[in-house]
Amino acid sequence: MTGFVRRFGTLAALIAIIIAFSIASPDAFGSPSNLINITQQMTLLAIVAIGATVVMAVGEFDLSTASIVSFGGILVVFLFKAGVPAPLACLAVLAAAAVFGAVSGFVVSRFEVLSFIATLAVGTIIGGITFWLCEGATLFGDIPGGFRDIGRGTMLGLPTLTWWLIGVAACAWIILDKVEIGRRLYAIGGNREAARLAGVRIVPNTMFAFIVSAVLSALVGILLTARIGSANPTGGGGYLLSAYAAVFLGMTAFREGEANVPGTLVGAAIIAVIGNGLTILGVSTFLQDIITGTIILAAVLVRRAGKQGA
Amino acid sequence: MLLSIKALEKRYGGARALGGANIEVAAGSVHGLLGENGAGKSTLIKTLSGLVTPDAGEILIDGKPASIESVRHAEELGFRFIHQELSLVPHFTAVENAFVGRAYPKRGPFIDRAAMARAIAETARDIAPDLPLDVPAARLTTGQKQLVEIIRALIGEPARLVVMDEPTASLSDGEARRLHKAVRRLAERGVAVIFISHRLDEVMEICDRYTVLRNGVTAGAGDVSDIDRPGLVRLMSGREEAELIARPTPARSPVALKVSDLPFGDHGSRISFEIKAGEILGLYGLVGAGRSSLMKIVWGATSHREGTITLEGRALRPGHIGDRIAAGGAYVPEDRRHEGLIVSRTIAENLAIANLKAVRVAPSLPWVGLAALRRRAEEVKAALSVKMGSAFAKPLTLSGGNQQKLLFGRWFGRPIRLLILDEPTRGVDVGAKAEIHAVARRFADEGAAVLMTTSDMDELLALANRVLVLAGGEITAELSGSSLTPARIIDAAFQHQSRKDPAA
Repeated sequence: MTGFVRRFGTLAALIAIIIAFSIASPDAFGSPSNLINITQQMTLLAIVAIGATVVMAVGEFDLSTASIVSFGGILVVFLFKAGVPAPLACLAVLAAAAVFGAVSGFVVSRFEVLSFIATLAVGTIIGGITFWLCEGATLFGDIPGGFRDIGRGTMLGLPTLTWWLIGVAACAWIILDKVEIGRRLYAIGGNREAARLAGVRIVPNTMFAFIVSAVLSALVGILLTARIGSANPTGGGGYLLSAYAAVFLGMTAFREGEANVPGTLVGAAIIAVIGNGLTILGVSTFLQDIITGTIILAAVLVRRAGKQGA
Repeated sequence: MLLSIKALEKRYGGARALGGANIEVAAGSVHGLLGENGAGKSTLIKTLSGLVTPDAGEILIDGKPASIESVRHAEELGFRFIHQELSLVPHFTAVENAFVGRAYPKRGPFIDRAAMARAIAETARDIAPDLPLDVPAARLTTGQKQLVEIIRALIGEPARLVVMDEPTASLSDGEARRLHKAVRRLAERGVAVIFISHRLDEVMEICDRYTVLRNGVTAGAGDVSDIDRPGLVRLMSGREEAELIARPTPARSPVALKVSDLPFGDHGSRISFEIKAGEILGLYGLVGAGRSSLMKIVWGATSHREGTITLEGRALRPGHIGDRIAAGGAYVPEDRRHEGLIVSRTIAENLAIANLKAVRVAPSLPWVGLAALRRRAEEVKAALSVKMGSAFAKPLTLSGGNQQKLLFGRWFGRPIRLLILDEPTRGVDVGAKAEIHAVARRFADEGAAVLMTTSDMDELLALANRVLVLAGGEITAELSGSSLTPARIIDAAFQHQSRKDPAA
């Protein structure tokens, strides 16, 4: 019984929250179109959170994610203004992010710097570059219509953004749970020294995790720009805390205290559902933050209690 | 007598740590406490510090029966403990460190720094006149830190008994001499000192009395002036000479592992040795002799600048674990919990992590198959008789012996040419110990060169074809065949300072 609660309690909480909002507001919240809309609303947060999940799998933190989201959005518009074609511009942005991820991962693993500090520094550098590129202003104009379609509209009955989430989540799940590199990443996160002594190479594997996180954050910057048609140098600011909140919520689901992709999806969904539902009920955004924070704390405490009881 | 301990007993689970230990310590004397690794010295000390409650036996303080309830109580009794791992705050000065956890002198609500400095200066003048008191501990030498610990022990409620656990283990000779003086001055002030040391020469020099523990029992005690060094060695080893004949070295095997001029220990020493295929070479030395760090260098977990390691003629690059694995190397670390098991992952993954290619669904696809993971776990379970339920349970659900088998199983299924064992049966019960020994011998019989270090004399004698004894940064003996006896091993291990003796 307790094992069941531990594994599926967080998922049950998500379902309970959905049912509660559906009863409170059957027409607006509970409508199929709103529920589909929530999957679109959670996409950007969830993709950043999936990147964070991969970094947490090796037992590290990446505090540069929010900066990379802003950077990705600004750089792609900057390249458009310079006349670079959209596919090339997007690839360039992802490549630049990969470099930042590689730097963070290398510093953290090779020199054993605390990832908090290393990625805070890298994120600060990226923030500076971002402001330099856009001279502190919001960038708009020169954004091709075809590019904007990757972040809006629908495909096969689902919002385009939702497809992005499905694709990214599937890839990340395969990487972490199905192929060899995932075993290595979790082994490092579980016991770095034991993994090293068993022949797992710490530096390249850790770098890989940080590169995935950076590339996914940059992807979110691109999608965000495509969706709203402009780029703001602080556009990614809100993603850091909520992404890690989603990962921590997800660590209470399915597995015992390990960051995992399905769990992160549930975590991101909880945050998105609460946001959406409270907005529909007309609750002020301040109160929404208070409620979201309280729920995360409660989830972690419940898990703690469950663990001690076991 | 300040302290008398009579017939003290303590068991941890099935293992007997103390089985009738006696010691008598008089005020104003320095008492040497001696014994091999695992003889029960630490447990005895822990009962004095209130960390361990004995199962049986008597503790008399000033002739009156007492029980030491807690660390706090030991402190109130005037017992002070100076551990091997020093616990100073690095950026605090000697004065600041001495008062951590003690009552600070106050002036009103504020700490009276001048009074602190005065109190320490007074004590330091007696014990260690040349110790700098206003320098952060991080900038002091190990020996100076020991002196700070001694001063710290004398602050606050008056100390009656100071226990020092191998205080000179990592000190230079000059520093050790300074410490000896401090210890003698301590005794002159009427304090009793229990001095644990593996340096027999220093025990002979500064101690008044001695007590030797062997397998948790007091094997002998008396005045230091009534015994000589060989006598102490005999008491510690306690075994009959030539009781066991070691396994013969497979004479015709080729040399597999060749180690040349590797850095070893803290004193810039170098070490060279060879191991033949099928041979088990045991390294024996006292704790702190640098065995584990040597094993890590051979395994490539620590890099080295000088010296070479070759396995079957292939050079192994410093710090490249991958080279060892590719050449058929395997390693079982000392600390199962921190260096061995990945406790958050399943048993099956712990067995697969060193060779993930073995659990692919198809040879060319890096996709990990659950069926393959389970199959591998079942193979290891059968081959090493691991007692486990599901392959996907967590490793800590197993007993210590079975956990240890997982670390061997991790390397199972490939031809192993070099097996490195660091304390292969620590914390393992007797039955599992024998099974693990059989596993180690099997690896050797299949042609692996086995490099083993252990603190357990019986294990050493049970497994090794040949033993190198390490002391003071060098090989003090190479023993095999009929010369491989407990007394020879112990004698060589305690030759710490003989190398400075011109006659030696």
